[in-house]
Amino acid sequence: MKSLPLADPGTPDTRSAGRYLLFVMRSQGWVLVVTIGFGIVWMVAQALMPAIIGRAIDDGITTGDTSQLLFWATMLLAAGVIQAAAGIFRHRFSVTMWLDAAYRTVQLVSRKAAALGATLPKRVATGEVVSVGANDIAHVGNSVDVLGRAAGSVVAFLVVAAILLEASTTLGLVVLIGLPALLIAIGPLLKPLQQRNLRARELQGELNNLAGDIVAGLRVLRGIGGEEVFHRRYVRESQRVRDAGVRVARLQSILDALQILLPGVFVVFVVWLGARFAMQGEISPGELVAFYGYAVFLVMPLRTATEFANKMIRARVAASRVVAVLALERDFAEPEHPSPEPSNNTLIDADSGFVAEEGQLTALVSEQPADTARIADRLGRFAPGHVTLGGVPLSELATDVIRRRILVSDTASTLFSGDLRDELDVRRRDDRAEELALSRAIDAASADDVLVALPDGLDSRVEERGRTFSGGQRQRIVLARALVADPDVLVMVEPTSAVDAHTEARIAERLREARSGRTTVVVTASPLVLDRADQVAFVAHGQVAAVGTHRELLAAVPAYRQTVTRGEGEDAT
Amino acid sequence: MRQILPVADGADVRRYARRMARRYPRDLLVSLGLHALAAISGLVAPWLIGDLVQDVDQGTTTAHIDTVVFVIGAFLLAQTLLTRWARYQSFKLGEKVLADLREDFVENALELPVGTVERAGTGDLLTRTSRDVEALGWSVRFAVPETIIAAVTAVFTVVAVLLVGLWVLVPLLLGVPVLWLGTRWYLARAKDGYLRENASYAEINATLAETVEGARTVEALQLGGRRRRRMDNDLRESYLAERYTLYLRTVWFPIVEVGYLVPTVATLLFGGWLYSQGHTSLGAVTAATLYVQQLVDPIDRLISWLDEFQVGGASLARLLGVAQVPDDRAVSGRQPEADDIRADEVRFSYLEGRDVLHGVDLELRPGERLAMVGPSGAGKSTLGRLLAGIHPPRTGSVTVGGVGLTELPLDDLRGRVALVTQEHHVFAGTLRDNLALAVEIDGDEHDASDERLRAALEAVDAWEWVAALSDGLDTVVGSGGLRLTDAQAQQLALARLVLADPHTLVLDEATSLIDPRAARHLERSLGAVLSGRTVVAIAHRLHTAHDADRVAVVEDGVISEIGSHHELVESDGSYAALWESWHGDGVRA
Repeated sequence: MKSLPLADPGTPDTRSAGRYLLFVMRSQGWVLVVTIGFGIVWMVAQALMPAIIGRAIDDGITTGDTSQLLFWATMLLAAGVIQAAAGIFRHRFSVTMWLDAAYRTVQLVSRKAAALGATLPKRVATGEVVSVGANDIAHVGNSVDVLGRAAGSVVAFLVVAAILLEASTTLGLVVLIGLPALLIAIGPLLKPLQQRNLRARELQGELNNLAGDIVAGLRVLRGIGGEEVFHRRYVRESQRVRDAGVRVARLQSILDALQILLPGVFVVFVVWLGARFAMQGEISPGELVAFYGYAVFLVMPLRTATEFANKMIRARVAASRVVAVLALERDFAEPEHPSPEPSNNTLIDADSGFVAEEGQLTALVSEQPADTARIADRLGRFAPGHVTLGGVPLSELATDVIRRRILVSDTASTLFSGDLRDELDVRRRDDRAEELALSRAIDAASADDVLVALPDGLDSRVEERGRTFSGGQRQRIVLARALVADPDVLVMVEPTSAVDAHTEARIAERLREARSGRTTVVVTASPLVLDRADQVAFVAHGQVAAVGTHRELLAAVPAYRQTVTRGEGEDAT
Repeated sequence: MRQILPVADGADVRRYARRMARRYPRDLLVSLGLHALAAISGLVAPWLIGDLVQDVDQGTTTAHIDTVVFVIGAFLLAQTLLTRWARYQSFKLGEKVLADLREDFVENALELPVGTVERAGTGDLLTRTSRDVEALGWSVRFAVPETIIAAVTAVFTVVAVLLVGLWVLVPLLLGVPVLWLGTRWYLARAKDGYLRENASYAEINATLAETVEGARTVEALQLGGRRRRRMDNDLRESYLAERYTLYLRTVWFPIVEVGYLVPTVATLLFGGWLYSQGHTSLGAVTAATLYVQQLVDPIDRLISWLDEFQVGGASLARLLGVAQVPDDRAVSGRQPEADDIRADEVRFSYLEGRDVLHGVDLELRPGERLAMVGPSGAGKSTLGRLLAGIHPPRTGSVTVGGVGLTELPLDDLRGRVALVTQEHHVFAGTLRDNLALAVEIDGDEHDASDERLRAALEAVDAWEWVAALSDGLDTVVGSGGLRLTDAQAQQLALARLVLADPHTLVLDEATSLIDPRAARHLERSLGAVLSGRTVVAIAHRLHTAHDADRVAVVEDGVISEIGSHHELVESDGSYAALWESWHGDGVRA
């Protein structure tokens, strides 16, 4: 067996869902061929068993020839063993292909998501991409898993048809024409069944959402009340799901019954013809038993054919969702001829007139928080604009260079799950430097108390999105992470909005020290932080209206004073 | 993941399953009876074909063949109709039971002790709600009916075989030890193997979700390579889990196949020998062989559903566990005589031996506005929860009108004290639904109730944006609806509180996500509506403290300073120092 996951999932064909599935199948290489081979041996061995039983009855039992009986019994045993062996090999290779297809798809999607970065949430709902991992990879996997069995079914069907054709043209034709006809006969029922199933699943999905909603809001419900209302609503929805399920059951049970009736009719017909032939001496009693065996066996390829069709349809739908993500392109194309990296770190936003001098701590305040968030986006080239770093326009720099030099840590920054140490030190250096940088950053972010409360300190686990931390704790860990990364230019948006005044005062004091000599921009309205900045730029209507120290601006610019003292100027004096 | 909620044990799961089975005895009997009849009808064909082979061997007429085939056809029709009816009945029963199961679970979740909900968070519960309900749904919808059908069919097929001749028991029993031992070996390992496999896919999904939801951060911090390695690691784990279950199946499948094969071959051999000795007929040997082959299908379905049952059982155990959380309130029946809340010598710990509060005394004056400030981790939120009656103190007491808060039934407590935290939630539904959680809105007096809702929204400065929505109070919000900002969500949470109208409110950073300038305005208009109510505000913004009647500084699990803003500024303690640095330029209050 090959080793998974692959180091390189390859370059997918994203022109259409069908082409993507073909890409996945082609990628299986010889495994696909071997699986189909085993699938054929497995099914044919099974198809031949009725013939062997028939011969055992004819040559062994009715004649009373013990050696013949023993011979055919041994043949039956051999066919059974071959079937079991081929079956398990087919299964193992099929599973390998399933895993290859599913893993390959999730690798491609997750790599694409990382490569798209900030572009991704602008183009697709994140839920859609996540559901690729939850549902679609399995469907893509099924499309290759079913191939071995499908191939075996077709061959086994032809073998049985040939055997019957040899015994009797009528019987052979009945199989060759009758069986596919039966397959088509069930068709009309499948569509409404699928629709009802879809409806039931939709309702089930809504019910799950409601339950999730109840649980997520359980604090509110238990704290303020409303359990009765929500319980009643849940019961109502739950009963609707039940009704939809019963509607599915009505059709499903008809389909199940038809799956007995249609092959059954076929079996009865074959037995009737067979018995007449046997009576006329055209076939032996053992052959009659064999005919019955074939007719019963043929139900299996019939089912596999239906399954194959279903799985392919679903795989196409899933692949189309996969392709929709894989075909996305980034917002900003890389410059064709990137400029050389500037040595200087002065950052200038021409659109607002904002300047962050090299090596200084510059604060950015605005009457409208949205204005400063936009400026921060431009500074990190998350939005188009006319920004220069050391005199070079960002549009002429390679994205890698921009990301390495300028780090924007905004309020939407998320924590990832993993060991806290790893999550803090995202640009891993050697161990000694790491320890020192970590403890400095944690100190500067005033996050020591977060660490103390953790069972294993830095080696504790951070849960998804850091959800076990409070808002204030999360914010300080994000801040520490940005400080550990130690970029040439650090742009922080409201880094202390969720921490208490005591802590904010400490952070404001230590931040300066931690970033001394480096270019730093802080978007904030907190006087505690503003007072520590070298320069404060006050933005009104998207433009820098005044520049100076906190105290200078307080004294000279009434609008600034109004903004940072949070409207308490009139009564706080 | 922190798992604070219990998991039911095997005995509880079995007891519950038995109770469920007995809840609808009629439906269950009808369903079983129909399946039995369908199975019997399906067994007629091999019998008659056995006879037919014998008749053909000994010479017969066309008319006889036609009659026998006609009878086979008639039973086929009966089997079809019975199957349709039986399946429908059992699907219906399954849906009914499944609805009961999930409704029971949600009911139990809604009755979880409020202290547990606050402490455990909702992660574990969310997993149970989504994954376990789904896994159980799969079991009840498919595994239970399929198993019942397979079991019924198998039993009647064995009966039919024995009617053909007791001698068939010998070859049949040859297969039993093989199947028994192989399946026992497999089942002992399968559940854990498949659970591990499922967990590995949950991990893959979580990693993908993190990458996707944090895509911007991934780009900002250049985490692409890291995320790729993480995913590849998860896949490697998943591959190991898959390899293990594949190994289990590689052993088990062939054993089972042999277990099916042995009886067929043995029936042929033994039957052939008996026939040659004149002990049985050709028809019987044929019928027996066909029956033994026909037995493979139900047996196979029966044992392949067994591990599904195990997985379903594990899910059921987690769902039932929710009902086993002991109530942390000890309702005494005593009624408070007044509305004053006080804490005496309060100590509290979440983990044994690690007290978070070290002897807090606090008396809330009815109608006052008390601000709590202090560094993170000093115990402000914990004290807030205790004052709101969420947890009982480890030692000491928190009382309202002389009665311990956790002695009051929850409904009663809510009428007196309520807590709003930073964690907010917008329910999927209309704004009206979201607000009316706590109050019975009278359907007949729609205008009057709208007035109440409007007043509450005005008190939290939210009426302006609500009125601007084209559907106003009927706007659908929450997941799937209009997405509210964090600030708007906090306003909703506060409006709920205004509607609930308790005499004491604990606000834990309840305005922290609202723009600082707007927050101050909100607090003032809220203050006007809440006049006469006691308010404890835990805040990180100093203007909240400035506006309060008294300020309590919480440091290291005790109240280190308490008094009015002016008193504390005068006393030159840690609050004064903070206020000083906050104002920086000496704008003193």
